Amino acid sequence: MATELHRALAELGTAIEPVASSVAKVGEKIPLQKPYFISYSVADAESVTITSQYGAIMNSSESHERTADVQVRLGSPAQDNTHDAHRTSALTTLALPLTDDRAAIERTLWYATNRGYGKALDALEKVKTEQQVRAREEDSSPDFTEERPQVDILAEEPPLTVDRSAWESRLREISGVFRQYPNIFYDTAVLQATHETDYFVSSDGTKVAAPNHVARLIVAARTRASDGMDMFRDETFEADSAGHLPDQAEVMAKTQAMAKGLNDLRTAPITEPYNGPAILSGRAAAVFFHEVLGHRLEGQRQRGDEEGETFTKLLGKPILPDFLSVADDPTLTQYNGYPLSGHYLFDDEGQPAQRVQLVQDGVLQTFLMSRLPIAGFANSNGHGRAETGKMPTGRQGNLIVTSTKAVSDAKLRQMLKEAARKQGKTYGLYFEDISSGFAVTTRRSPQAFQVIPLVVYRVYVDGRPDELVRGVSIVGTPQAALRSIVATDDQPQIFNGLCGAESGTIPVSAVAPAMLVSQIETQRQAQGTARPPIVPPPPLDDATNTTSSPKGGR
Amino acid sequence: MKLRALLLLPILGSLALAEVPQPADPILSAMQQELAREKSDLVIPGMLRPYFIQYRLEDIHTYDAIASYGALTRESESHQRVVRVEVRIGSETSDSSSARGDGSLELAPADGDPAALRYALWSATDDAYKNALRAYATKQATLKTFQSAPTANDFSLAKAVTLVEPLVTLSIDRDDWKHRLIEASGLFATSPETRSFAEALQYSSASISALVVNRYTVNTDGTMLRHGYSGYTEGVNIGGQADDGMNLSRSNGSVATTAAGLESDAALNKRVIDDLISFNELRHAPVVDAEDYHGPVLFSGDASAEVFDRLFVPNVEADRPDIGTSARTQGAYQSSYRTPILPTFLSVVDDPTLRTFEGHALLGAYKVDDEGVPVEPVDIVVHGKLMNYLVGRQPVKDFPESNGHGRTALGQSAHSRAGVVIIKSSDPLSAEALRAKLLALAKEQGRDVYSVETLSGELAPRLLYRVTPDGKRTLVRGAVFDELDQRAIRSGILAAGGKPYIAQKVGTVPETTIAPELLFADITVKRANEEQQKVPYYPPPELPKD
Repeated sequence: MATELHRALAELGTAIEPVASSVAKVGEKIPLQKPYFISYSVADAESVTITSQYGAIMNSSESHERTADVQVRLGSPAQDNTHDAHRTSALTTLALPLTDDRAAIERTLWYATNRGYGKALDALEKVKTEQQVRAREEDSSPDFTEERPQVDILAEEPPLTVDRSAWESRLREISGVFRQYPNIFYDTAVLQATHETDYFVSSDGTKVAAPNHVARLIVAARTRASDGMDMFRDETFEADSAGHLPDQAEVMAKTQAMAKGLNDLRTAPITEPYNGPAILSGRAAAVFFHEVLGHRLEGQRQRGDEEGETFTKLLGKPILPDFLSVADDPTLTQYNGYPLSGHYLFDDEGQPAQRVQLVQDGVLQTFLMSRLPIAGFANSNGHGRAETGKMPTGRQGNLIVTSTKAVSDAKLRQMLKEAARKQGKTYGLYFEDISSGFAVTTRRSPQAFQVIPLVVYRVYVDGRPDELVRGVSIVGTPQAALRSIVATDDQPQIFNGLCGAESGTIPVSAVAPAMLVSQIETQRQAQGTARPPIVPPPPLDDATNTTSSPKGGR
Repeated sequence: MKLRALLLLPILGSLALAEVPQPADPILSAMQQELAREKSDLVIPGMLRPYFIQYRLEDIHTYDAIASYGALTRESESHQRVVRVEVRIGSETSDSSSARGDGSLELAPADGDPAALRYALWSATDDAYKNALRAYATKQATLKTFQSAPTANDFSLAKAVTLVEPLVTLSIDRDDWKHRLIEASGLFATSPETRSFAEALQYSSASISALVVNRYTVNTDGTMLRHGYSGYTEGVNIGGQADDGMNLSRSNGSVATTAAGLESDAALNKRVIDDLISFNELRHAPVVDAEDYHGPVLFSGDASAEVFDRLFVPNVEADRPDIGTSARTQGAYQSSYRTPILPTFLSVVDDPTLRTFEGHALLGAYKVDDEGVPVEPVDIVVHGKLMNYLVGRQPVKDFPESNGHGRTALGQSAHSRAGVVIIKSSDPLSAEALRAKLLALAKEQGRDVYSVETLSGELAPRLLYRVTPDGKRTLVRGAVFDELDQRAIRSGILAAGGKPYIAQKVGTVPETTIAPELLFADITVKRANEEQQKVPYYPPPELPKD
């Protein structure tokens, strides 16, 4: 198929001669310009999704889709139709035939390329006009980098095979756990497995094909306290295939623990707003770094009228304490035996994935680059990523945070208590689990971020047992939060997840040790005012309480 | 609640929910079980109890496939179940309901697990009740701000009905149909009749879409229903541009209640070729006159059905009027009760009890509507006068009872919707006589007239012919109609007849319209003023030589 794409590209790319032309004066014809760059990026994906709730299967389906992202650039690398607000003018997305019918594929690509050319032409005119009218831009870097062509055709993904019936039984048992918790009013357990082959062909000579497979099992649940506060928890298990996901015993144990924890949270006391020391568990710190640091180091955020550019001017300066370093390495498939979600071989612009040292000993070194250059950085470093249907931008892959000031967990706890005592607090906070919230990086909004703590404990200075609390949300500005990290533990933990931003939703991971911060600011979580359910859930009689065997019926 | 039901059900006997015979269907059984529990227990102390609760489960099975340029592009199948719970607070006179309808939706187990089904119903009932309490309080306050009371009650009473029909299953030879679609969408390149203009064709696709719905309903009136319907739709969609950039396309197909009822392989291929040739004819057809035409136009049955579907049917489906007004309903005929809205030789009936017509199974047929009210034919228009609106359990002024037209789209609340609409003339002309009458008008007026075969969306002509007084027809392109409105159908139809056309659509609710050809006296035909897109910047790839 790669060959067909290539031939289609070569034939069509050169065929955009001045065939039709715009008419300036009656009778006079002006030749239209040729694109300086065209690329075809095709995702051929097979996936299976099975959804279960409360011990029953809600949905079980599979799909096969082939989608082509056609990119057309007019003008020159210095200035083309993607400049500034017109970035999406380069992209046209269309479904491709599922079979390798060459004529049909070529015809579809022609149709999309023709549409793309029209869009690009229109956008380029607008870009030229806007440039004449506006004030000088802060960053006048080109719109596209020059890169060496890559050629690497790897083996295609084999067809996806999932034992759906076996997984349906497993999921029934997993979500059936929640039948024992009448106060948890929503639960779900979802299996998703995908086999994808990504093809990329470009007019500057790149031709790559790379396989990609992942399986995810997500269990989530929600409850509501009697005062109307909503709480939720989730567990994600990930592997390279459904067959390599953790076994049922492990998943059941984690699900039971999560359900019990969520149930306990209902009756936990509400905490008051707080400003003091805290420990973020490794998993919580990983999410924290992804949101607070990772997003702000994406290349394209350092340029553009709408961007906040928090770290743009801090290149070469310390942004973290000197015992912390941060790298983003998509070439890693696993960490300590656990799979990493953000692994890829080629990014969505056909560039090879690279390990990038973002921060060394606290000092900012570089950014996550796509083929959109920024001041001081003329090349991609293999981080141009996008969901199908979106234009690639610089994104994270596997964010790895390392520390040279690592102490044991016990010591870190002790340090927390000491810090709290010194600040005159009766307790410090321990964030065991947080959910990625959203990062706000634009110019118009305040430089704030919000991650959602899910499990928080008070760690008392006087040695009382830790107390689970609810209603906490972390607030603050990025630099202040990062600079207040004082020490870490020696047990890195992994967060695997899906990250959504302008170029769409992509799989990522972050790895970090637990961290002691001297100053974290929290506020009370906004809460709903809805009552918990009025009538208790329907009684379960003996016949319907067992969930280990599949249920028949229509 | 029970006492009121007694007054309405002197014949039926068993009234209390506990006495309704236990259904053999485990889904209905689980639904009844949870409904009984909620009916007894659901109340916030100090607040109103619901006076009506309805549970509905929809089992929705779909299959879709589409092929483009001779290759399969997409195939998808889904099977899911959704429950919808409706709770009403107050009384039939004035309750918590809104014009749009209120209900809470939840996913329901696809595998029929009764405990999970009851759980989903419980969850949705809790939501629906809380929303209803809020809505009732707000609505009562709003009503107090208006001078006059609403023109009708919020809900009408209905007898308990039990009707459990056989389940419907989705049945289609997927491989065979994919093969057909692939072949059909690729004919432009392979068939000798169309090869010569294949390069001008920009898109060519063929698709199939199957929908099977089984609907289970129980409510506190004591009604228990199980009803299934199916709709299979296949079609082709081809098109491109004329040399001046005008977008041209042909898009049509067949609809049936079974896959076997769709057109045959040969018929589908013939349709594609006919469409391709038609597209080419359109490309070379002259653009319609720059100056407007006001005069006779003959509408085919196909075109007439679409005119009625757009201009007439929605306006005889009675909906709740805007709050605070004294209108009867919404739409163009809200105050036309017992007045002429069509010529005296036309009558319109909605008869969902008609299951077939000339051998075709009718999609819009049903026995009992989705609110549990049995349906009988309704004379909407009698000799041109509007005598009845189509009404569900939402009463409107002068129509306090449902006439069995409360129908629901998937996941929605019931609204008044037509079933099988039949437009008939008391003085029909044959097809030849209609043509002769058109030519007679042309001769009389000393000019060319128009005849339209088929419309595109928005009542614009797709196949429009200019007709000379001696009957010569010329296809023209780029035209739109104007002044094709309620007045045109009220006083502008000269004659009707020819072969009735059966227009069927699966739509949001399945419907059928059966319409004759119509000769209009005075319709405007004018040139569309649309911006012409640029033709392709470069030619498509060469077709394989075989």
